[in-house]
Amino acid sequence: MAQSQLAAERDAAERPPVDRKAVLDRLDRVDDPELDRSIVELEYVDAIEINAGDTSRMDGDGSDAGESNAEGSKVFVRFKLPTAWCSPTFAWMMATGIRDETEELPGVSRATVELIDHMHATEINDGVNAREPFEEAFEDATEGIEETRRSLDRKARLARQYRAVEALLDVGMRPEQIVSLSPADVGLADLLAEGRDVEADIGESSDSDDEAGDRDEAHVTIPVDGGALYVQVPREPIAVYVTKAIDTDLLASPDDVLFATPDGEAISVEDFDLVHHRARAANVNQIGQGGVCASLHEARYGLSVDEPAD
Amino acid sequence: MYRHDGEDVFVIDNHIHLWDASEENVIHEGGEQFIQCFYDYHTGFTPEDRQWDLETYRDYGPDKLMNDVFRDGYVDMGIFQPTYLSEFYEDGFNTTEDNAELAEKYPERFVLNGSFDPRDGEEGLEYLRELKERYDIPGVKLYTAEWKGDSKGWRLDSEESFEFLQECVNLGITNINAHKGPTIRPLNRDAFDVADVDDAATSFPELNFIVNHVGMPRLDDFTWIAAQEPNVYGGLAVVAPLALSRPRKFGEIIGELLFWLGEDRILYGSDYGLWEPEWVIEAVMDLELTDEQEKEYGMEFDLEKKRKIMGENAAELYGIDIEEKKRQFEFDEVSERFDLGEAYTSEAAAD
Repeated sequence: MAQSQLAAERDAAERPPVDRKAVLDRLDRVDDPELDRSIVELEYVDAIEINAGDTSRMDGDGSDAGESNAEGSKVFVRFKLPTAWCSPTFAWMMATGIRDETEELPGVSRATVELIDHMHATEINDGVNAREPFEEAFEDATEGIEETRRSLDRKARLARQYRAVEALLDVGMRPEQIVSLSPADVGLADLLAEGRDVEADIGESSDSDDEAGDRDEAHVTIPVDGGALYVQVPREPIAVYVTKAIDTDLLASPDDVLFATPDGEAISVEDFDLVHHRARAANVNQIGQGGVCASLHEARYGLSVDEPAD
Repeated sequence: MYRHDGEDVFVIDNHIHLWDASEENVIHEGGEQFIQCFYDYHTGFTPEDRQWDLETYRDYGPDKLMNDVFRDGYVDMGIFQPTYLSEFYEDGFNTTEDNAELAEKYPERFVLNGSFDPRDGEEGLEYLRELKERYDIPGVKLYTAEWKGDSKGWRLDSEESFEFLQECVNLGITNINAHKGPTIRPLNRDAFDVADVDDAATSFPELNFIVNHVGMPRLDDFTWIAAQEPNVYGGLAVVAPLALSRPRKFGEIIGELLFWLGEDRILYGSDYGLWEPEWVIEAVMDLELTDEQEKEYGMEFDLEKKRKIMGENAAELYGIDIEEKKRQFEFDEVSERFDLGEAYTSEAAAD
């Protein structure tokens, strides 16, 4: 007893303190699955409360009786969406994402989530906090949440592909060069080693010239024409794409073909334009819908969110 | 009639409503949430000085519609798109019968569509025949996400739906307007799925499928389907207001539509009373693609395209003779009431 208590205290001492910023940083990993953007950026997070000992805000069913407070903090996160009609499926994904990511933080023992101002707030809050599966919270569900998530992720991948391929076209790469690229060719094989859910924090650190010295972290170098030439391409759009391609199981090995049709097939040179146009439509859809959601969010809560271009 | 750089543009608003969301008519929480959601759309896109208060918004009535749409809104003809939502509203939200109040009073100015719900079975088919008989409806507006009993929606490509679509063919009801956009359910499928349009359009080549809200937020699925189905059209309701607040995004969306569907299969709609047509039409007519967009899509959003989208494409679908209408509108009741006759005369004189 005394020993385990000591161990718990030692663990607690090693843990970084759980504060609002730590939670918010972690929540940055949760995205609006339709817009493929962080819920933090989109200003969906309404409140964060951290109560190491106080369980009054928590679900009072005594389910964690027997757990010691030394186990960690209890965190409460409240969030809201642009409309009360936002798909309950999407809302569920965000609510479970908030719960699970928060609980991944060292020092957090339990997270409770509350969605407000939504048509299905009660079902979602009760279900997510009781850790029920979606199908139990919504009995008339006919399609699993995973399938919906996958189909949204495929869309997100395609939109990201558009931006990545545009970057390659911008530096003068030709379709026949682009369709045969692999993660290894673009110098991003290391992202594969990190596996699914790798954070694309990409881009942000890359502008600063830290200890990397001469190494240009903002760009990747791609060999073309059998290594006779090299081109430099901004790393961010390529890396952002690769993370989603890993998430959607399109990429598993450094030599896989980097880009794909909407159905996940390799792209033939003849189909390059068509596929790129379809990817462009996915990108326009995402950006356009982002504009609709931002307008609604603004009308509802007076919050304005940075949007790409406009 | 809209005047653009000295040229007349005949406007057929492909998407208008006369709804009743007054508190007395709301009988389900869903009905209240529905109008609140609409109101968020209203305030989210409407310039501040043009916003309505919620009371007006709930039930604006026929006079305000006439003023906003015809007197102030440049619109020459309006197409009613009923939305029943009978589980949410005692007397329905915006039924064919509600819309008929004005459509029968000014038949030269309105096109009156009906509606069906395949879950109504034989009774529903009978109602569809009745609508045809009574109002000679040229089309239907379908709301596949509507709740009914335990059902939270239906699909256009279901067996039951095909029975109704076949009945439309039999009755000569040719324009099938599907709401594919901002919606409430179905719950677990991606709520804005447009995939069911594909099968229906292939199976009924004699019908036209107008996908309202161009499938947003599934524009990419919609454009891909529409590119392959020549009888699929895109309705701009809800997208059009972006022309004012987010012109660049609107430019990209219109660019995609022009790229995949071409200029003959896009229809303007205000979605009145979601928004007043006046500022929406001004914004769309004033919009030009950026240089970058013109390069990307290989075209300009020029007057000829705008003319088609604003009226000529709808005229084609509904068999409206624009020149004949102009002559008629020189002296019709609406022109007299709002002193609009001259707009049609001047065009005649210019010819």
